[in-house]
Amino acid sequence: MFPAFSKVVTLDNLFILLKGALLSLGLAAGSLLIGLAIAILIALLRFSTKKICHIIANIYVEFFRGTPMLVQIMYLFTVVPIVISMIVGHRVRINPVIVGLIALSLNSGAYQAEYIRGGINGVDKGQKEACETLGLSRTDMMRFVILPQAFRLAIPSMVGEFVTLIKDSSLLMTIGALELFGQANKIGNIYYDYMTPETISIFYYLIMTLTISYFARKLEKRLARSV
Amino acid sequence: MSNTTMIKVEHISKQFGSLKALDDVSLEVSKGEIVCLLGPSGSGKSTLIRAINGLETPESGKIYFEGEEYDKNNAAKYHQQRLKMGFVFQHFNLFPNMTVLENLTLAQIRVKKVDEKQAKDTAMRYLTRVGLSDKRDEYPNKLSGGQKQRVAIARSLCMNPDIMLFDEPTSALDPEMVEEVLEVMQSLGKEGMTMIIVTHEMGFARTVADRVVFLEDGHIVEENEAEAFFSHPQSERAQLFLSKVMHQ
Repeated sequence: MFPAFSKVVTLDNLFILLKGALLSLGLAAGSLLIGLAIAILIALLRFSTKKICHIIANIYVEFFRGTPMLVQIMYLFTVVPIVISMIVGHRVRINPVIVGLIALSLNSGAYQAEYIRGGINGVDKGQKEACETLGLSRTDMMRFVILPQAFRLAIPSMVGEFVTLIKDSSLLMTIGALELFGQANKIGNIYYDYMTPETISIFYYLIMTLTISYFARKLEKRLARSV
Repeated sequence: MSNTTMIKVEHISKQFGSLKALDDVSLEVSKGEIVCLLGPSGSGKSTLIRAINGLETPESGKIYFEGEEYDKNNAAKYHQQRLKMGFVFQHFNLFPNMTVLENLTLAQIRVKKVDEKQAKDTAMRYLTRVGLSDKRDEYPNKLSGGQKQRVAIARSLCMNPDIMLFDEPTSALDPEMVEEVLEVMQSLGKEGMTMIIVTHEMGFARTVADRVVFLEDGHIVEENEAEAFFSHPQSERAQLFLSKVMHQ
């Protein structure tokens, strides 16, 4: 068991893994926020009266939800730079962490758009009618009445998305981003012991995801009380 | 059409799937009049009052408000017409993400473009009127059903409507809360507010209404002064309906 346990479990290595965990957390948080911006943009497109806007929004969502995330990441890392190179005329160097952040954000945006849609659908129909009878414009109705309530309904799903992103950030190992699992693998390569660092990485993941889930449950209870 | 006619409904029909909710219904309501729409559930009375406000669009027929026809193609004017109507829902439809005061000021500020100070003054005036000035900073979920409905009435009044439409305003309330809402409505009527009320409160309709319109299966079956309707209903269906609801 654990071929190089004592060599791997040093303060230095634990710290390296911690740095990886923080990068995973940062990637997840960053893509959650950028994804939220994308999702809001999609919600606005869907709210538009122009049909083309709906089509664009739907293509985006269906594309990113309908293809594997690993494929999206690899495609963005390997194929897209070639295309860019052909356009700009010289080789472009790209940072795997940046590519990873973009890939996670694009993907998460599609999912979060669906959560917002679910939230909007969950707002009572009477709210819209009340706005109508008071003469509020469509934009004001969305801004002051529907979206605030929709966000509240979508919060549990959004927290779930944060947890998902922490886990999915491990996929970025495949393009060489040194997030938690990437670091664990790198340490494994050095000591020819994958068992030890990868087991430790599991604990690191669990600490992150369980902590978030714990606070999510508390938040949900509080929201349930206030509605 | 006399110049005191506020609402005129001409031969409107509305279909929901295979159900004919309104079938060639005409109605006139004068300024200052209080009209109660009565009838069994499914009779079309809610559809009628919702059509008068524009929440439902009839397939045929015309509706005039203060002498001018509804025309959805003339959005600006249609908007102005609807603004002069207050609407109170069975389920209140207060905005749960806002305090009572914010519920009352939102449309004043965003739609009527009054400044915040004035909007708050107006809001407090009407909140005081419905006896809830102490609830200004509460959220709707902290209020009882009766209080919610009084806030909803105040919210409509803040827009300074010419007419108030009530769609079963007490049907979702516990019995002990019905009275406080009816009292507010009665006092509105005394001040000369034009009102159309869909209700199942027969005692209230009898004392408050000038006129009663009885609907069944999407038709107006009988229309009469309130006292005459209740003491001597003419149609067999109205007689049957009254005998049922009065002996609950």
